Amino acid sequence: MAADPELKQKVEEAIAQNPVLLLMKGTPDMPRCGFSMRVVNVLEQLGVEYGAIDVLPALQPLREVTMEIADWQTFPQLYVNGELVGGCDIVEEMLETGELAQLLGVEQPEDAKLPEPERILPGGPQTSPPMQLG
Amino acid sequence: MAADLAELKRMIEEALPGAEVEVIDEGGGDHLRAVVTAPQFEGLSRIDQHRLVRNAVRERFEDGSIHALSITSRVPD
Repeated sequence: MAADPELKQKVEEAIAQNPVLLLMKGTPDMPRCGFSMRVVNVLEQLGVEYGAIDVLPALQPLREVTMEIADWQTFPQLYVNGELVGGCDIVEEMLETGELAQLLGVEQPEDAKLPEPERILPGGPQTSPPMQLG
Repeated sequence: MAADLAELKRMIEEALPGAEVEVIDEGGGDHLRAVVTAPQFEGLSRIDQHRLVRNAVRERFEDGSIHALSITSRVPD
């Protein structure tokens, strides 16, 4: 099925306008999925500013949009400088190896950790408010 | 329809000849992980490596046998 062109354009604009953009389930303050929460945790450890879009209100249409934009349909999706970097697995792996810090142009935290899921506290000072697509 | 781990492994091996593939059920038959070491990954970004694996089992996503597949991809030493 072809993606909704208006929605696609909005997502493309968001990707272009935000050097670091996370498409996630829920918001940085209140992630609604463990994988999205883990990516938020990584971004907050690195202390980067990022935009976030909650995909839940339009999950299926957004899957169609991201299939066309980036040939990927599961969320979360982290975009850096217009390119899809990956989901939770890739982001956590790249935190551990230092590749993500390098890509984002920040220092690798000395104690870069992937805490146990129950110890992750969502939210924090680095989060920006979720964008509205509607 | 439940996922057939052996079939998924075979589909990935056929798409990526020479790959070492392990498909693990991480819980309840719904959380699967493919650990794939493949020479074809050389020089690719991680997301492109994951796309190759996902494409190999795309049919099983489309027919609803699998909903989510976590992927660990490695380039052989």
